[in-house]
Amino acid sequence: MSEPTATKESRLLRGVHKTVTGLHPVFESLLAGAVGLLIGALLMYIWGFNPWRAYIALFKGAFGDSYGWASSIARGTPLILTALTFSICLRAGMFNIGAEGQMMIGAIAAITIALFTLPSGIHTVVGLLIAAAAGAAWSIVPAILKITRGVSEVISTIMFNWIGRFLVIWLGIHVLVDPIRAEKTLTIPKAARFPVIVRGTDLTASVFMAVGVALIIYFVLWHTTVGYEVRAAGLNPTAARYGGIRNKRTMILAFLLGGATAGLAGAALVMGLPPSYAIFSSGMPNLTNMGFDGMAVAMVGRNHPIGILFAALFFGGLNAGGRVMQFYGSNPVPLEMVRVVMGAIVLAMSVPELIRLFPAVKKSVMNIVERIRNRRARAAQEVSE
Amino acid sequence: MTSEKTAVSTERIKDSYFLRGENMTKIYSDGTVALKDASIEIHAHEIIGLLGENGAGKTTFTKILSGLLPPTSGRVVSPRGPVRFSSPREALDFGIGMVHQHFALVGPFTAAENVALSHERPFSRLQLSKANARLQALMEESGLRVPLDVPIEKLAVGEQQRVEILKVLSRDVDLLILDEPTSVLTPLEVDELFNLLRRLRGEGKSIILITHKLKEVQSVTDRVVVLRHGELVGDVPTESATTEQLAQLMVGQALETEARVVELSDKELPIKRERRAVNRTEMSVLHVEGLSARGDTGEAAVEDLTFDVYGGEIFGIAGVEGNGQSELVESLTGLRVPTAGVATIRGTNILGVDPRQIYKLGVAHIPEDRWELGLVLPFTLAENAILGVHQWKEFKGPLSFLRWGKINTHVRALMDRFEIRAAGPSAPAKSLSGGNQQKLIVGRELAKDPAIIVASQPTRGLDIGAAKYIRDLLVEMRDAGRAILLVSADLDEVLALADRIAIMYEGRFMTVCAPDDLDREQIGLLMGGVQRQEAPV
Repeated sequence: MSEPTATKESRLLRGVHKTVTGLHPVFESLLAGAVGLLIGALLMYIWGFNPWRAYIALFKGAFGDSYGWASSIARGTPLILTALTFSICLRAGMFNIGAEGQMMIGAIAAITIALFTLPSGIHTVVGLLIAAAAGAAWSIVPAILKITRGVSEVISTIMFNWIGRFLVIWLGIHVLVDPIRAEKTLTIPKAARFPVIVRGTDLTASVFMAVGVALIIYFVLWHTTVGYEVRAAGLNPTAARYGGIRNKRTMILAFLLGGATAGLAGAALVMGLPPSYAIFSSGMPNLTNMGFDGMAVAMVGRNHPIGILFAALFFGGLNAGGRVMQFYGSNPVPLEMVRVVMGAIVLAMSVPELIRLFPAVKKSVMNIVERIRNRRARAAQEVSE
Repeated sequence: MTSEKTAVSTERIKDSYFLRGENMTKIYSDGTVALKDASIEIHAHEIIGLLGENGAGKTTFTKILSGLLPPTSGRVVSPRGPVRFSSPREALDFGIGMVHQHFALVGPFTAAENVALSHERPFSRLQLSKANARLQALMEESGLRVPLDVPIEKLAVGEQQRVEILKVLSRDVDLLILDEPTSVLTPLEVDELFNLLRRLRGEGKSIILITHKLKEVQSVTDRVVVLRHGELVGDVPTESATTEQLAQLMVGQALETEARVVELSDKELPIKRERRAVNRTEMSVLHVEGLSARGDTGEAAVEDLTFDVYGGEIFGIAGVEGNGQSELVESLTGLRVPTAGVATIRGTNILGVDPRQIYKLGVAHIPEDRWELGLVLPFTLAENAILGVHQWKEFKGPLSFLRWGKINTHVRALMDRFEIRAAGPSAPAKSLSGGNQQKLIVGRELAKDPAIIVASQPTRGLDIGAAKYIRDLLVEMRDAGRAILLVSADLDEVLALADRIAIMYEGRFMTVCAPDDLDREQIGLLMGGVQRQEAPV
C-alpha cells in the first residue's frame, strides 16, 4: 500500500503556504512586483512615453524625499486595513470581497461623530469604535447567509458592496449632508481628526492605528486560541471540527474581525487623510477602490499582517508617485498607467496558477506536433513506394 | 517490406516477454531512493505477485514499469522498443492498465458512462448506446457482471472494483496491474476476483498483483517478486517458496531476528495471542443502546446497535470497511448526529453533543483518517499536538493567549515519550512520515489521560514497527484500566488485541463474542453477511 500524497489543504490557502517557483514567498512577491513594473514599462513604451523617466519620476515622487515618503505612507495606511480584512477571512478559509462596502459604511459611520462634540482624544476613539462596529455590522449579513443558507460569500459580499455604496451616497446626500456645501457630507470636527505628524504633508497619526491593528491581528492569529481556531478551520475544517472547534463560530468571528478592520479603514480615510475630512457624495473619489486595492495588497503581502505592511507601503508609493509621474515635465504619463502596473502585479501574482496549467497545454501542443510529423512521415513513405 | 516483416516475427519468437524492466533506479527529487537497480521480465500467461512492506517501492516499481514515471536510470523495453508514456491514457493505448486502490470513477455516472468516459477523446461525440453494447459483450465474455444503469456511487465497493476492471479490460490491455485489490473486498468477493484473474491468465494476459498479504500470493500467483527498501530481493516461482520464506524476504535477512518474524506472524500467519486475564471493570464506561445513524448520502449506515465497553478491556469491531464502522465512530465522537438511540459515558449523554464537550468526559479519539481528520497538515507539530486540547488551562493564558513556551515543552515530552521522530516542535506535520504522524495523533490523544479511547484503524498504512508500537500502547492503556473501542478492517489486528469482538455487517453486529469462539472461516462468512448456520455454543 502506498501512502497517498498529503494534499488535504484548503485550495484558497495553497498559494500562501506553497509557492510554485519554490522561492521564498517574499521573493515571489518581489518578482511579481518587478514583472508588473516591466509590463507597465512595456505599455508606456508602446504609447510613446519614456518608461525609464516615468519610473524615475514615480519613485522619486514616492520615496525620493520625506514628503514623498510621508505621502506614500499616508496612501498605504487605509490599504493596510482593507488588506487585513481580506487576509483574515482567507485565513479562515473564506473569500471576502466585501472590504469595499464595509469600508464605505465605516466611513459614513465615522462621519456621524460630526453630530456631537467630545474631548479631543476621546472623540477620535469613539469615531473609530463606531466605524469598526459599522463595518463589522455590514459584514454580518453575508456571514449569516453563508453559515445558515450556504450562500457563497463571494457573491453576497460583492452585492453588499453595491448596496453599501449607494446607501452611503444616499446618506451623504440626504442625511449627513453639509448644510453649506451640498456636494459633500458633514466635516469631521478638528477635535476628532488624527493629527498630522509630518508638517506640510497628509501623513497623520492614523498610520499608528493601522500598524497597531496589523500587529494585533498578527498576535490574535498566531498567539491566541481564537486565532488558532480560525487558522485551523481555514486550513482543514474537518480536522478543526474533530478538534472541538466550532467552524461556524470561527467564520462569523473572521467576518466580524474583517468587517471591523474595513470599518477602521473607512475611519482612517475620513478622519485621518487631509484635506477633505468628509465624503464627496458624487462618486466618492477619496474612498472608491480602497477596498479592492486592499485585496491586491493582501495578495502581494502573502496574507500575512507583517507582509501586508510592506506591500501597503509599496502600493501607497505607487499611488503617491503616480501623481508626480502625471505632471512630470515633457513625459506626462497618465495616472491610469499606475493602475495598469497594479493590475499587472496582481496578474503576475496569479501566474503560479497558470504555471500549474501550463504542462497540460505544453503536452497537448507536443501531441499535435507529433501527430503531424507522423502523418508526414507516413505520406512520404507512401510516395516512395 | 517483406524482409522487415519476417525480421519482426523472428524477434517476437526470440523475445517472448511482454515487457522488461532493466536496472530500474528511481531517486526522487528530495533524495529518497525509492527503487534500486531492479530488473524484471513480464511474460504473457502469468500472474505476478508484487510483495513488500509499506514504502518498499511497490508503487514506484509499477509506475516505472507502466511507463508513467521516468526512471532515474535504467529503462523499460518492450519487444517493440523502449517504453515511455506521458499519461495513463497512452499507457492504456499501449496495453497496460492499472486498477488503483482508490477507484477513479465518476460517482453520479453509471458503469456504462464511466467506461465510455475512458474511451472518448476530448471533443469527440459520445456514443453511449455503442458503449453500452460493447460493455454488454465484454461482460458476457469476462463473466464480470455489474448493473449498467445504476450510478456508481450506489454500487457496493466490490462492484465498483469490477467496473474499474471492466474499464481497463475494455481497452483490450495485455498487462493488468492491480494495487491492493482485496483490501476492500469480502472473502467471497476475493475468491470471485481471483477466479477472474485466473481466467484472464488463460486468455494470455499478464497480471501484476500488488499486495502485502502472503496468503493471496500463495493462492493465486505464479511468480512472486519481493521488494524491500527499493531493492528487488526475490523473484521466485510461487510454488517453490513457503510463506515463511516470503515473509523473511519481505522483512529482510539482515533484520531477521525472532522478534521480527513474530511481529510479522502476528499480522499474517496464524495468530499468536497471549492475553492477560481480563480485569475489566464492573461498570461500563461507554453504554450504547439502539443506536442508528445515516451515512453521508442518507442511507441507513448504523442500525439499532446496543453494546457496552468496560474499563480494562479492548472491545474490537471487525468487518469489511464501509459497513457502518465510520458512522458509528463519528456518532460516538460528536462528528455525526445519529437518528435514534442512546449513548452515554458514565451516565452522561454524548449523542449530538459537541466534540469539545465529549472530550471533557475523557474521550480520546484516534481517527481513521490522519490527513482528513487527525491533523491539520500545514500546521506545525506543536500546533497539531494541541488540536482539541488547545483550550486547556495549561496552554491558554489570560486573554486566551497561547503559552507557546509551555506548549513546546509539552510537545518535546510527547516526542520523547512516543518516539516521534521529527526536526522539532516547529516542523510542519506534513514533513513527518506516516508512522510519526500517527504517533503524534496517538500521543496527543493518550496525553488527555482518557477514560475511553476510540481507535479507528489505528495502524492503517503503517509499517510493521510503528504498527506494533501503537498496538502495544493500546494494550498498555487497557492494562491501566482504560476502556478501548477498537475499530479495524484488519481482522488479524482485532483478533490479536481485542478481549471481545463484534463483527459488523451492514450496520449491525453479526455477533459479539470472545475472539477464540470463532474460527477464521466462520468470521469470514460473518464478515460477508452470512449468518452462522448452527446455533452458537
